[in-house]
Amino acid sequence: MALLSMKNICKSFFGKRANNRVCFDLMPGEIHALLGENGAGKTTLMNILYGIYSRDSGVILWKGQEVSFTSPREAIACHIGMVHQHFMLVPTLTVSQNITLGLREKGYPFPDRKALNATITEVSEKYGLEIDVNAYISSLSVGEQQRVEIIKLLYRDAELLILDEPTAMLTPQETEYFFEVLRKLRADGRSVIIITHRIPEIMSITDRVTVLRDGCNVVTEKTSDITEQELSQYMIGRQLNSIQREPIVPDAGREGLLLEDVSLKEKNIKGLDSISLQIAPGEIVGVAGVDGNGQKELVEVILGIRKQSSGKIGLDGLDMSSMSVLERKKLGIGYISDDRQQDGLVMDMNLTDNMLLKTHTEQQFIKGGLINARLVWEDTKKVVEEYAIKTPDLNTPLRNLSGGNQQKLILAREMAGDPKAIVAHQPTRGLDIGATEFVQQQLLQRRSKGCCILLISADLEEILLLSDRIAVIYKGRFMGIFPNTKDLNLSHIGLMMAGRTSEVREESL
Amino acid sequence: MDSGFIALVTMYLIASVRMATPLILAGLGEAISEKAGILNIGVEAIMLSGAFFSFIVAFFTGNLFLGLLAGIMGGIFVSMIHGVLSIHCKANQTIAGLALNFMMMGLTSFLFLIVFGQTTTLPSCSVFSEVKIPLLSSIPIIGSALFNQNIFVYIALISIVLTAIFFYKTEWGINLHAVGEHPQAANSAGLNVFAIRYFACFVNGVLGGLGGASITLGQLGFFMENVTSGRGYIALVVVILGRRNPVGIFAAAMVIGFSQALQYNLQTLGFPIPTQVFSMFPYVVAVIVLFLSIGKSIDPSALGIPFERNKR
Repeated sequence: MALLSMKNICKSFFGKRANNRVCFDLMPGEIHALLGENGAGKTTLMNILYGIYSRDSGVILWKGQEVSFTSPREAIACHIGMVHQHFMLVPTLTVSQNITLGLREKGYPFPDRKALNATITEVSEKYGLEIDVNAYISSLSVGEQQRVEIIKLLYRDAELLILDEPTAMLTPQETEYFFEVLRKLRADGRSVIIITHRIPEIMSITDRVTVLRDGCNVVTEKTSDITEQELSQYMIGRQLNSIQREPIVPDAGREGLLLEDVSLKEKNIKGLDSISLQIAPGEIVGVAGVDGNGQKELVEVILGIRKQSSGKIGLDGLDMSSMSVLERKKLGIGYISDDRQQDGLVMDMNLTDNMLLKTHTEQQFIKGGLINARLVWEDTKKVVEEYAIKTPDLNTPLRNLSGGNQQKLILAREMAGDPKAIVAHQPTRGLDIGATEFVQQQLLQRRSKGCCILLISADLEEILLLSDRIAVIYKGRFMGIFPNTKDLNLSHIGLMMAGRTSEVREESL
Repeated sequence: MDSGFIALVTMYLIASVRMATPLILAGLGEAISEKAGILNIGVEAIMLSGAFFSFIVAFFTGNLFLGLLAGIMGGIFVSMIHGVLSIHCKANQTIAGLALNFMMMGLTSFLFLIVFGQTTTLPSCSVFSEVKIPLLSSIPIIGSALFNQNIFVYIALISIVLTAIFFYKTEWGINLHAVGEHPQAANSAGLNVFAIRYFACFVNGVLGGLGGASITLGQLGFFMENVTSGRGYIALVVVILGRRNPVGIFAAAMVIGFSQALQYNLQTLGFPIPTQVFSMFPYVVAVIVLFLSIGKSIDPSALGIPFERNKR
């Protein structure tokens, strides 16, 4: 008998169907993948189960009993636990305090920390989830924080663990370690649901897979009976165009983007440590690394948003180390930020005004000292057609556009006027496969026009797909730069992402 | 040491503690509220309400304890309005607080006028007298400052200790902290974010109301228009200076309390300077101390941000 079955679940947000008669069932002791693109309704479905959202209609059976949770507390009481994509941990509390948060343990409200810590350690050791219980969450790596989240569920004796995009922020080694934990959980009779859009990973670990597309069921199948190609077709509803990189056309006259021994020290913390890199015209250099290892710093130093403490930055032979952001952009640098809502766009302004953010000083839009609204409007209209941006009109605030269309506008703005270099920081973050493909094609097009491109992504697949060379960044340092060839050793890159160089050296001897 | 000097220090300490008491009470309440993520700049309104209702009830019943109770109720009344506005209605907390300050300023003056009419002499009531605590009060210097005072001072001191235990030794303190730092995490851990925030508002009302009552029933014995004269705002400064730490709040309140005591004293010494210059003194001190503490305060991440459960 199924441990959990969800039948005909419907849920709408603002008139848009996020779940449309979705069915899902789970066997005891099973690892089940919930596969789908961004916006397919996977997380919505699980949030409904977990009592975070209320459903419009449908039935949920847990161990054969009809249930309807109105808060996570009720779900937890039934031994259902969920780890969200954005961790639900309080950074200013300790591991131990986070794990017991909301529980009424013995001695409540005066907790006996020592006894609690002993129990936590017992649980964590049982599944090989090592952790320092007295550490503050803010001092932990993403992988460690995930461990805390899982221990938190196990401490509450969760029989079903729902994990939302659990591998998104992990290095390949951490992922392997994490799968080991999952196998132990399964061996212990617990069930796991993994929400993901990454097909290769689920093939090795899951027993069954359910695919959602546009809020509807597509298929549920045993993982052993289905191939990766079939799954990707089910997921996106069509075949993906394969991406081809042509060889670089050397341009002897140009030097490209040059970083020479660039360091950044802020509040006594080394954000960047002697970064040296030259990106030739028509080359894409991908920077791989776990989030928060100096990627943001690197990007912002190149753009001039932050000022490097030492070193030189140049573009085509021009030293721009002491130039302002505007001067650098005028020199021909396009910038795609990792946080488009924060750094890239003004969400409450319309399309034309957002285009103007970069072009407001350009003479072609200025007449008699004033910005000519008609010229800007025409320019934006052209861009909207060229990039096929879906919008009701040009006066729509960006807030009302989908993530993909927002990103397209940034792309259009930053690629206007044939930039000599583009800094693309997580350009496909949060986009669905279609939009991701579009962004990647655009980058490759720029590449063939001789643009130097720095691509920073937490998604190793993307780096491997687009880059000519790959740099691995760890704690603000480049651990190594490799040409992206077929015989590239992925486990080396993974180890370097985790900051382990010594083992790499040993192996390469 | 010169006995005259000791007498002077003792006198200033006693006065400082008295001046600091309303600030400590209101400050602790606000600290609890802010820890839970509710920024209530309507402390002035809470205190004014506490001061008004405590005086009215004490005046007509002649019972100071009933007055004290009424002060608490008055504080709760205002704080809960702010709570409903910012938790249930998800209004802008700063605007709601400001609006309450002006509303209570007008309302208390208006009610006072209705009850007493235009009078030349202010109606007055008795105040809580000092209660000497045996043994402790005979400690030199601090004994009479801390242990020969009225009931409000004792409530304030006990509140400091209780709040410190609550913040740092109990699971409730952790829950409060979680709700203010990361309400989504608190919610997913099964805590009732709304209930905890309402509780924080409630306590803020109790302590703020007490703070207001301590002005009318502990110091003055009468009520007049704007009797709190900005102490609610000073209490906000005290919370920031004290980093929402009960002991820090005590220390900050003492600094401000001392400068208040000093300015009263300077006013009576007959310098040929307008008294307004001296009245400015505590506020100038507040501004200076704030300057010195630039950039050191770490606010709860969700301070002032309404929590929405079904948000996407």
